[in-house]
Amino acid sequence: MASLMSDTAAHSDALGYSFSKSIPNPTSHSSGPRQHSFYPYTDNGGSTLGITGSTFAILAGDTRSTSGYNINTRHAPKVFRIGADDPSSRIVLSVVGFAADGNALKERLDTIVKMYRYQHGKAMSVKACAQRLSTILYSKRFFPYYVHAILGGMDEDGKGALYSYDPVGSYEREQCRAAGAAASLIMPFLDNQVNYKNQHVPGSGEGHALQQRQVTDLSQDTVQGLVRDAFTSAVERHIEVGDGLQMMIITKEGVQEIFEPLKRD
Amino acid sequence: MFIARSEYDRGINTFSPEGRLFQVEYSLEAIKLGSTAIGIATSHGILLGVEKRVTSPLLVSSSIEKIVEIDSHIGCAMSGLQADARSMIEHARIESQNHAFHYNEKLGVESCTQAICDLALRFGEGADGEESIMSRPFGVALLIAGWDDDGPQLYHAEPSGTFYRYDAKAIGSGSEGAQAELQTEYHRSLTLEEAEQLVLKTLKQVMEEKLDAKNVQLASVTKDKGFRIYGEDAMAEVVGRLESN
Repeated sequence: MASLMSDTAAHSDALGYSFSKSIPNPTSHSSGPRQHSFYPYTDNGGSTLGITGSTFAILAGDTRSTSGYNINTRHAPKVFRIGADDPSSRIVLSVVGFAADGNALKERLDTIVKMYRYQHGKAMSVKACAQRLSTILYSKRFFPYYVHAILGGMDEDGKGALYSYDPVGSYEREQCRAAGAAASLIMPFLDNQVNYKNQHVPGSGEGHALQQRQVTDLSQDTVQGLVRDAFTSAVERHIEVGDGLQMMIITKEGVQEIFEPLKRD
Repeated sequence: MFIARSEYDRGINTFSPEGRLFQVEYSLEAIKLGSTAIGIATSHGILLGVEKRVTSPLLVSSSIEKIVEIDSHIGCAMSGLQADARSMIEHARIESQNHAFHYNEKLGVESCTQAICDLALRFGEGADGEESIMSRPFGVALLIAGWDDDGPQLYHAEPSGTFYRYDAKAIGSGSEGAQAELQTEYHRSLTLEEAEQLVLKTLKQVMEEKLDAKNVQLASVTKDKGFRIYGEDAMAEVVGRLESN
């Protein structure tokens, strides 16, 4: 069994999957010094993405949870409402990477947002929550939460807001962002379809004279369509993504959650 | 005010049979010995004014610091034991900076006041495992003025740990007379300039010394400029205007 495990690991290495780091078989090196190791992280696969429009923000994620070639469950949501017991809350967090860390981070941020309401008598703004999430992540700089987080909400001007993070809290407000296993598949698609990268005005010239297609404000239906297309395509090409699509649509009216099926293969 | 002394005078955290904490009540008396401080909240900003007791002609009056900055949008005037205010102000400043660090926004004025009042009852022996920081209650009262998302606000914080929001409030030795004056003179449409004159006029009435530009200090908190202490020139100008009236 042990040899089988290392065999599959060697194969997956070639494929470049996230679980490809082979674990050295301790029995095969019984002579000589033995190195012990502790690796407390697991990659549970999956992917998330967020897109904002002028009046809304959408955060989405697939619902598959994996360990290597195994599927732990087909329904493990990655997108969470934060401070949801207050109906005026418009903050949503998506986490992808190591699910246990993601859950711990979600719980911690949720508690902080609730406490903030008690202490300051007002709901936390997304801007404040974004900064707080960054300090939480950085406070574990040397034992990080192994997640890529995306925070969404409505800003003070009623516009959709989206903040993306690296595991140690570096963050940026963006128009759109994909994270997780299929990020490298989805992000170029979003660049092209949301920010019209590599799209030019036909006949505007040649070479440097070519004009970039002007970025437009996308409607909620268009964005929902993009999210769906991004995930159905990612499912085709990445084995850790699939089963279900969870979408959180944040508007000034509230937060709507939608589940749709994805391929389960 | 001195009621018959009893056993309950000494135990810092001991209730008397009538349900009173004598040491806390005495600390309120300490404030009544302090110099008068006044705060007025107007829709244009909040004005703080204090009387400086220049006890000697050799005393450098600018070294008397009774109005201090907590953050760029919050200021504070004090009356009572000056030294006690230092740890409260320090706590408030740290709280304000921490809030800005963690949340990328300014600390609310009420939250700042609450943070200061959280300190007020941490005297005496302290609970098990909890470090007690003081042997007695604070002997100082604060007027906390600030401008946040909810607009201009003025709070009064006492050594008992309670705080209230005021439109206009006077503390210190002349507080009774000053408060009565504020009650008759205050109205919602006061401008900041009118508030300056009202503070000075009220201080003038309750001060023992003759009011001049050196023995009073003003400060304001406005939306645009935040907390600002009046310099010598500004003080001379405002006091000059009072005398010409």
